[in-house]
Order: sequence, then C-alpha cells, then structure tokens
Amino acid sequence: MAERPEDLNLPNAVITRIIKDMLPEGVAVAKEARSAIARAASVFVLFATSSANNLAQKHKKKTVSAQDTFLALKEMEFDKFIEPLQESLEVYKRSQQNKKEQKEAKAKAKKAEEADKNSGSVEDNSEDGDVSNTMEASLTTDKENDDVMEIAE
Amino acid sequence: MAGTEDEAVVTEEQAQQTEQGEQAVEGEGEEDGRAGLRLPLARVKRIMKADPAVQIASQDAVFIIAKATELFVESLVGEAYQYTRKAGRKTVSRRDVDNSVEAIDALAFLDGALDWS
Repeated sequence: MAERPEDLNLPNAVITRIIKDMLPEGVAVAKEARSAIARAASVFVLFATSSANNLAQKHKKKTVSAQDTFLALKEMEFDKFIEPLQESLEVYKRSQQNKKEQKEAKAKAKKAEEADKNSGSVEDNSEDGDVSNTMEASLTTDKENDDVMEIAE
Repeated sequence: MAGTEDEAVVTEEQAQQTEQGEQAVEGEGEEDGRAGLRLPLARVKRIMKADPAVQIASQDAVFIIAKATELFVESLVGEAYQYTRKAGRKTVSRRDVDNSVEAIDALAFLDGALDWS
C-alpha cells in the first residue's frame, strides 16, 4: 500500500492553534517553524506507536493498550506527560461511557415507541440520523476492558 | 504537502475557519466527548496504521497518543520559544526549533526527521 506523505500529516489548523495558544500574544511563528513542528508531531505519533507496540509484543499481546502507551512514554523520557494524560483519559472514558449510555437509552426508547404503535404494517426499520461512532463500528472482542479498534484493514 | 499559505503567519480567523472545516470533514466535531482533545482521533489512527507492525490498538491507546502529541507540541513550542526570547525576537523560527531538538535528549528521535517533506 503506497503511503502518500499527506496521509501522515496532522491538520495544520489544529497544530497552529495549539502552537498559538502556547505563545504569548504578539509572538508569531514562522511558516518553516510551524511546518517543522507539525512534522515533529507526526514523527512523535509514529515513535510513540512503535514504542508502545514493541512493549505490547514483548508481553505477547496483540493489542496496544493504554498501559503500553504510558510505559512507552516513560521509556521515551516523557514522564511529565503521564499524570496529565491519566487525568485526561479518565475524563475521556467517562464521556465515552455517557455517550454509550445515551445511545442505548435512545435505542431503547425508540424500540418502546415502535412497540407502542402496535401496527401490523411493515415499519421502516432504517436507522435514524445518528452518526455511528467509527471506532465502535470496528469493535473486536478482546480480553481487555477497553474498546479496541482495528488498525490493520 | 500542498501548501497554500503565502503569509508567514496564519491569522486567527483562518485558523478557526479551517479548523472547523477540517473537523467537519473528519466527522470528529464533538468537542465535549473528547476531553478537550483537539487533534482528530481518526487522523492519529491513520498515522498509527502506517506502522506495519501494529495490528490492533485500543481506543484508549489512540486517545492517549493523540493527547500526548498535543502535549508534545506544546512542549516543543515552549522550548523553541526560549531561544526566540533569548535572541530578542518576536517570531519563533525554524532555527529555534532545531536548537531545541539538539539541546534536549528526549527530542533526539527528531534528529534529521524534520527535513523530509
């Protein structure tokens, strides 16, 4: 599979936003500096992924887990990220759980509504406009508790 | 990479507009569900896929790497800015970034990696 360089880039606008938020007002970033930082970010993803994957494989696991990424970051000497990341992860997991519950509640309510109608005619069973979570769509069961998403296609 | 920016610096407005546009395209626009994460998870996942050795990653792992990348960008910018300030300049230059990479052990993985396009 040919990997075009564009595929490995993170959105410029988001990177720029993060950069600007870090700098005091009145400080600008040269275009070359910005693209270097954007590139560095992509390389960071690759490096962190590779390190985490190595750790997973070392422990005979097929899935890269949250734990693997934390250990990888420690190995990469980014210990200072670990605590804030753990906090962010908690918030993220809670919101994912909320979304899941909301979706289930919605589906339940819809089913109840349809049952109430109690009509003999064929109902249109198409899903409503929910945008399904792309990550949930590729869930595979795994021994671990967290949801997994297929990396290889 | 297709670069359409002529100015040296992207304006606030442009950054915001493009950001919304890109988020809409990615379909990851729910700010509330992602713990303040700005990078799109789908894009991060795509980069992770580039590694042939990686088969499956948990959703949490992808999130952590995405969030860590944001922290990394902030960290790198902070370092580069020290050089900018020392030189009495108001614009962070490529040289400032390079100096940071050279000076910090943890950034050694970036050596030479910033030059491919």
